[in-house]
Amino acid sequence: MKNRQPLFHVVKREDSRPGRQLLAYVTAVVLALAVGAVLLAVQGVEPLTFYKQMLTMGIPGSRYPWRAVENFIKLFVPLLIVSLALALAFKMRFWNIGGEGQFIMGAFWAGFAAMKLGEILPKPAMVLVMALCGAVGGGIYGLFAAALKVRFGTNETLLTLMLNYIALYFLQFFAETKAPWNFFLDPESARPKFAKFPAGAQMVTVPIGPFNLNLSLVAALALCVLIFVYLNYTKRGYEISVVGDSPNTARYAGMRVGRIVLRTIFLSAALIGMAGAFHMSSAGVMSASPTNDVGWTGIVVAWLAKLNTLGILAAALLITVLQFGCQTASAAYPAIDANFANLLQGVILFIVLAADFFTRFRLVRRAGKEAVK
Amino acid sequence: MNDPINVLTLFLFNIVLINIPLLYGTVGEIVVEKSGSLDLGVEGTMAVGAMFGYLAGCAANSLAVGLLVSFLTAGLCGLLFAVLTVSFQANQNVTGLTITTFGLGLYFFVGKGLGERWPAMTGSAALVNGFSAFELPLLSKVPVAGKVFFSQNILVYLGIAIAVLVWWYLNHTKTGLRLRAVGENPGAADSVGVNILLYKYVHLIAGSGIMGLGGFYMALNMSGSFEGSNCWINGYGWIAIALVIFANWNPVLAILGTLVFGFFNTLQIYSGALAGAFPGGLGWLNAVPAQLFKALPFIITAIVLIASSVRKREGSGQPAALGLNYFREER
Repeated sequence: MKNRQPLFHVVKREDSRPGRQLLAYVTAVVLALAVGAVLLAVQGVEPLTFYKQMLTMGIPGSRYPWRAVENFIKLFVPLLIVSLALALAFKMRFWNIGGEGQFIMGAFWAGFAAMKLGEILPKPAMVLVMALCGAVGGGIYGLFAAALKVRFGTNETLLTLMLNYIALYFLQFFAETKAPWNFFLDPESARPKFAKFPAGAQMVTVPIGPFNLNLSLVAALALCVLIFVYLNYTKRGYEISVVGDSPNTARYAGMRVGRIVLRTIFLSAALIGMAGAFHMSSAGVMSASPTNDVGWTGIVVAWLAKLNTLGILAAALLITVLQFGCQTASAAYPAIDANFANLLQGVILFIVLAADFFTRFRLVRRAGKEAVK
Repeated sequence: MNDPINVLTLFLFNIVLINIPLLYGTVGEIVVEKSGSLDLGVEGTMAVGAMFGYLAGCAANSLAVGLLVSFLTAGLCGLLFAVLTVSFQANQNVTGLTITTFGLGLYFFVGKGLGERWPAMTGSAALVNGFSAFELPLLSKVPVAGKVFFSQNILVYLGIAIAVLVWWYLNHTKTGLRLRAVGENPGAADSVGVNILLYKYVHLIAGSGIMGLGGFYMALNMSGSFEGSNCWINGYGWIAIALVIFANWNPVLAILGTLVFGFFNTLQIYSGALAGAFPGGLGWLNAVPAQLFKALPFIITAIVLIASSVRKREGSGQPAALGLNYFREER
């Protein structure tokens, strides 16, 4: 009989070399920028000038350079927190793609608290209450999907996807319905328009010279450290990785898998909700589409970073630079859209996903009799 | 115009006209999911098919060229998904979402980049004629139903034909049955000599191509006018993913599902007109918030999803290996 084995077969690698991974990332970014440069050139835009503006984000030479940094932080903080939170769920192989919905629910309940209590509570307390309300609101929304998954095995990917849109239209209902009971809206305006939060509900900022440090950045960085410790040095964090690797092993070891899933997803969704709350108090006003796609981009970031906490910090920074940079740079070019960042982001991830294969597997040549073994 | 029967007929007519892209997206996604892949890139795939199909259709002044190019370019998105998830074992959720991000990025990049050079649909007689009503002889004369079902454009009939054809393919052909085996249990299918790689590649490309046709339809339905802020697809790709579940992975049920989802989708536009035409019976429609109509497809799907997992009933069409990559060495 003829040997019909393919020429190569694929074998899992036992070793993992961080150097090889780093190389993959650098290659991905460089290649994506190269692809982008070709596309820009086709549109008649000088790629180097565009990239220079994109990577410097219009900060040098600006009349208010600190304002740009503050806006950058407003984009960076939600993305960082959401990516960290999603990584918790993904570590357990729970495909929470409901970040958008949990973020919206967090934003909604934070806004609810701000409109109801903003006049009463003083500033730092109010921001804290908003964060708590957001965390509980987002957490319960995530817990709903987790409970169904644990109890009935409902497909969590598809369910959280549906919940995203239900949350979105729920929020839009409050954004677009002009009625006496709707305390979210500005009573002065004839058209439905969100009212500004009372002063107490605005994010706390610490002035450092001309720069106002948004306190949510400090909170996000602290979360980074806390989650790193939680995952690597606590029993609960260890349980997450065991359940992720093999629920059966976890069960055999006497872990209550269902409870671990519920606890972790609540934590994950609560952090996302809290990011929504921070985002609302930084903006100072509600929005009908508050997420800026952070629930989707967070998945990209978490995956780029291989769910590694420090990696997430770096990846979130990279993606925010791309997005914020494209926003500022594209203002100067009518032919280029801020969505150009999404294109670059897509190419980067495609290359990383493909390169992953070569860091996880290797090709072995089949030869002669060895194949029959 | 305010004649109640006219309003009702127009409402029903639009349910079909506006929502057929959902059918294309759903049938495409069913083909993909039956091979065991959960492709969350429907929105991006449709956007790519829409953009390039429309531009090619305008350039060639031909409906057929538009259809072909939208099928091929969307099929390329499927090929990309196949290379990454089937050959390179990448995570399907992440790959699908990236295709959506990338596809929408490409859509806006091309559209914005054309700027003044954007071709108007009125400049292409073939597209305008191809998308205008094609009245089926005799049948179109039937009151109400004649207008609603038999005076639509050719692409509506094509969509329904594809749905029926795919249903027949999945249930009554040898390759179709093998495809389902690949989605249910790739290891078993592999052991009886089914070429898993080939089946996954072909069906990812073909399914994505069908989604692309839906995108092309949306481009024509929007009269080819490009807006910098809103994509033509406008969330239809996500609704299609929901519809696959609602239709229980059955392309013929997907036709019905399209009409049900389409009913709510169109009701939000027509609720005012309907309430005006039938003040006695439908006056309450004015009180229903439009956002509820928008959310209903997703609410219904969530309920279907939960209910079917609670009942764990036999005969669920969800492929058992949906979303799982097949790695031969771990068989």
